[in-house]
Amino acid sequence: MRVSFNWLADYIDLRSREPGEVAEVLESLGHEVEEIQLLAPRFEGVVTARVLEVEPHPRADRIRVCRVTTGDQPMTVVCGAWNFEAGATVALALPGSTLSGGMEIGRRSIRGVVSNGMICSERELGLGEEAEGILVFDSGVSVGNDLAGLPSLTDTVLDLSITPNRPDVMSYVGVARELAAYYRVGYRLPEPDFPQTEAVPRIGIEIEDPSGCYRFTAREVHGCTVSPSPFWMRTRLRASGQRPISNVVDITNYVLLELGQPIHAFDLDELGGAGIVVRRARAGERLTTLDGVDRALTPPDLVVADRERASALAGTMGGGSSEVSDRTTSVLIEAASWDPPTVLHMSKRHALRTEASARFERGVDPHLPPRAAARAVELVTSLAGGQALAAVTDVVAREDKLRPVTISLPMREAERILGPGFDTPRVVDLLSRLHLRVEGEDPVCVEVPTFRPDLTRPIDLVEELARLWGYNNFPERVPRGPGGGRSVAHRRTRILRRALCGLGFSESVSLSFMRAAEIEIWGWEDDDERAGEIRLKNPLREEESILRTTLLPGLLRVARYNNSHGLEDVAIFEMGKVFLDRPHPTLPKVPDQPERMGILATGQLGGSGLGGTPRPVDFYSASAVWRAAAHHLDLDDWRLEPTDAPGWHPARAARLVLGGAVVGTLGEIHPAVVRKAELSGRVIAMELDLDPLVADRAHWQFREPSVFPPYTFDLAFESPEELGAQDLLSATARAAGSLLESARVFDEFRGDPLGEGRKSLAINYTLRAADRTLSGEETAEALRSMARAARQLGAELRGDL
Amino acid sequence: MENLAALVKQAPDLVEGATSVKSLDALQNDLLGRRSLIAGLQRQIGKMPAGERPCMGRAIQEARGVFADLIATRREHLERETERMTLAADRVDVTLPALEFPEGYTHLITSTIEEVCDIFIGLGYRVVGGPEAESGTYNFDALNTPPTHPSRLESDTLYLDWGDPADEILLRTHTSPMQARYMEQHDPPAYVVVPGKVFRADTPDATHSPVFHQIEGLAVDEDLTFSDLRGTLAYFAREFFGADRRIRMMPDYFPFTEPSAQMHASCFSCEGGGSCRVCGGVGWIELLGCGMVDPNVFEWVGYDPSRVSGFAFGMGVERIAQVRHGVSPLRHFFDNDHRVLSQFR
Repeated sequence: MRVSFNWLADYIDLRSREPGEVAEVLESLGHEVEEIQLLAPRFEGVVTARVLEVEPHPRADRIRVCRVTTGDQPMTVVCGAWNFEAGATVALALPGSTLSGGMEIGRRSIRGVVSNGMICSERELGLGEEAEGILVFDSGVSVGNDLAGLPSLTDTVLDLSITPNRPDVMSYVGVARELAAYYRVGYRLPEPDFPQTEAVPRIGIEIEDPSGCYRFTAREVHGCTVSPSPFWMRTRLRASGQRPISNVVDITNYVLLELGQPIHAFDLDELGGAGIVVRRARAGERLTTLDGVDRALTPPDLVVADRERASALAGTMGGGSSEVSDRTTSVLIEAASWDPPTVLHMSKRHALRTEASARFERGVDPHLPPRAAARAVELVTSLAGGQALAAVTDVVAREDKLRPVTISLPMREAERILGPGFDTPRVVDLLSRLHLRVEGEDPVCVEVPTFRPDLTRPIDLVEELARLWGYNNFPERVPRGPGGGRSVAHRRTRILRRALCGLGFSESVSLSFMRAAEIEIWGWEDDDERAGEIRLKNPLREEESILRTTLLPGLLRVARYNNSHGLEDVAIFEMGKVFLDRPHPTLPKVPDQPERMGILATGQLGGSGLGGTPRPVDFYSASAVWRAAAHHLDLDDWRLEPTDAPGWHPARAARLVLGGAVVGTLGEIHPAVVRKAELSGRVIAMELDLDPLVADRAHWQFREPSVFPPYTFDLAFESPEELGAQDLLSATARAAGSLLESARVFDEFRGDPLGEGRKSLAINYTLRAADRTLSGEETAEALRSMARAARQLGAELRGDL
Repeated sequence: MENLAALVKQAPDLVEGATSVKSLDALQNDLLGRRSLIAGLQRQIGKMPAGERPCMGRAIQEARGVFADLIATRREHLERETERMTLAADRVDVTLPALEFPEGYTHLITSTIEEVCDIFIGLGYRVVGGPEAESGTYNFDALNTPPTHPSRLESDTLYLDWGDPADEILLRTHTSPMQARYMEQHDPPAYVVVPGKVFRADTPDATHSPVFHQIEGLAVDEDLTFSDLRGTLAYFAREFFGADRRIRMMPDYFPFTEPSAQMHASCFSCEGGGSCRVCGGVGWIELLGCGMVDPNVFEWVGYDPSRVSGFAFGMGVERIAQVRHGVSPLRHFFDNDHRVLSQFR
């Protein structure tokens, strides 16, 4: 809400206050000042002048010759505007003056008549957008004054952001009331006073739906004249962010800003029938609102209707058919109290948020309508003339909404939440300043006026105490909790993350969505858990319409993004939840959302040096990453098994079995998937369930390094292709027993002289005993039993022992 | 004898004249070897008259000592010189980055979360996680959010087409549901921080993302007051942004806290005024929303609001990381551009 400092001063004495200071006070009270704007005239040498005579130009039809005075000798000015006559007070830019935008005014001849300056429009002065016609002042403005010195043109505007719980502050009076509480001074409410005519109102009011409308106050003014509003009102509205339209419409906006009560003015002659009814919309009913949009209404919509049709969306926007226009001579002023949720949903449904709906959806004081209607009528009769009817049609459908709430606040409660010092005297002082009626000592009994719908419970009063006391006036204290820190899983996840970073993988964080096309390329069966997707009900874009069932699409996206930005070697990992279409194993009602760990790499992996070549990624890179991770995570009860899972390379992928359970897949992504993902070359990936990896486990145990010499030797085995190296390693290691210190495959070979389907594996073994130097007999026996174990798997030792 | 004296006198120059280990070896042979003058005199000594022998013997012994010392010193010098030359020839360009170890980078979101959690672990908090696909019950109802509250609208919250429609399964809009879940499962006192992903119905742009991260903090005990909230947040601000940070708090509104506040920290980059990148010249940086836990939340989870009190706060991870490191626009957190990731540390 934009608050003009000049206007605000109508309701509270601000003579000794600087706007900057007031802004700080408002912020300390919880009303954030988003901007402080200084308004100042952007012209020089413009004075107020009276038009003495207006005559036609002898040689031109569209312009006129005026005799004007600034107090002394009359002078001649040529003017092209027609919205004034002799007697008007206007803004005269004298020769030598500068207008907004830097335009300089001189004395010049216009079709043979010398013009001593220019009569200005509001736009030429940089005051408003209106270019039609020149600026005509209110009759009270004296002549010969420097216009730049006009107090109303120099102003400070505070742009306030009012929190949704405080509709009472969305007005000048409301802001003044807050400041009054802070400064311990009074504030002024307008007290309407105007001549009234006894006559029977033409329009009756009926509230058909009390659930939507608590109160409806209507007043009539007959015989008024719609014209532009006076300069002072236009200036104030513009400073507050409103565009002036016409006196009657401007008055409704003015009262809304002044009191916070939205007002609607109907053209009385355009309302069909003699009555207004507040009702829910009928199915199929339509209404063209003031913004020119033809809207289809539905029964939850609440409308103000005449006998024939809807003529306004309650508390939101009026209808075009009963709009006040130049021809309007009689108006019906509506000030009503609407049900907040009804207005909220209506404005959301129609995507129509207005100054009125913004207030009603939060709650406007139901005591305001009579005062606001009177204030509007007062302004109409004073600015647009006409006769105000004394009769007020004030229908209250919900008496209960008019009764103030009473809250009992025990002193203990204030001190329990706010700390020591909030005793009865302080509490009574603070609450009284907030215009609450306080009685009693402990507990204090607090009567809350209806303009504060946010205060219903003791804690609400506690907040008010803290707010007015000043949040920054509380001492600081740091409490200590009982501890707990990170869980084992958290700590182990961090170990895994650091291990992966150490291997050259960077962590990526993706949005948790995927597109259908990103899943289709994997060719998973319909019953695959990753194909059973969870869709958003209200996605904003296709990219964010399905929750990810796997981390792989996001990782491919990141690889593609970096490839397209010139980076060929990509090594990334991500940890996060995926969402599966099945119930959560422990939490009721929500879907399963396990944590996953995924990695992906393309191009080359590893460090590099001058003249050195890092290794292009392939299956072995993926399994090496896993082995390193497993070491850091202290996991050894695992094995890799070949898999031909869809989407993976049929011969270069493995499922990872940990503690007997499959926890995921690693290896090379199928070349067809790689192509569809718009990548090239070998792409390795891994996706594992995170929970089993980081679950607590038995801790590794220290082995004393032996001081005795090692016995190191190489063995080469010839075996069928199908025999896994790990199986051979395990079998020979078991055979070597406790003597085995290490076993490492250092060569794999196929081709001559081995036959088709055969391969050779060369393994380097180290045997060592903890307590002695191994004898030749011992090592020979160990080798024989290792060879036997290999033979049982179909692997023959190449060469002799 | 005269010859020997002359040779002793000459010796320093002779040794100095040997400029390599090899020529020094030859000189050593000349001076001390089997064919040297000394060796010759030594052989003749037996033929000399007995009275002259001791004198000659001393002279030979002295000359031998002089030669050996000179040669040893010279040898040490020459060997040092030789090594110096060898090492000099092994010179490298110390500015050449000839070898690079593979290096991966922890994401800034993760490292920020870890740092903030570390700060609160130091104060005795526990780190907990929670579901991202959440029910309306925990995301809204438990947190005192009325059924008509605008945050429940589809324009703000992403709903899932899953489960019983009455349960309103959604993507959590804040980490606050874990307040309720944690308190439901644990008796007071409760001191927890909850880092994690949160979701909003926002199209990505410079300052919005449908996914971002929050860290929720919750402290509930028997005697916590507004001062404890203030002190805790001031402590955090000083730990995270620097020792001389001050904070200010302004009233704000959240359904699940009362009193509610937003917390600002004094800018670490300027003293206010001018055009600061970090604070825009205001001197203060808006950091997070917070407040005292609303009694309705306590009631919902089964805590007695007349016996316990506490505070909660929620900070945007990207927000505080952005403030401290200047990462902007927001998409840099989620594009995972290597040129950005490799800046994280």
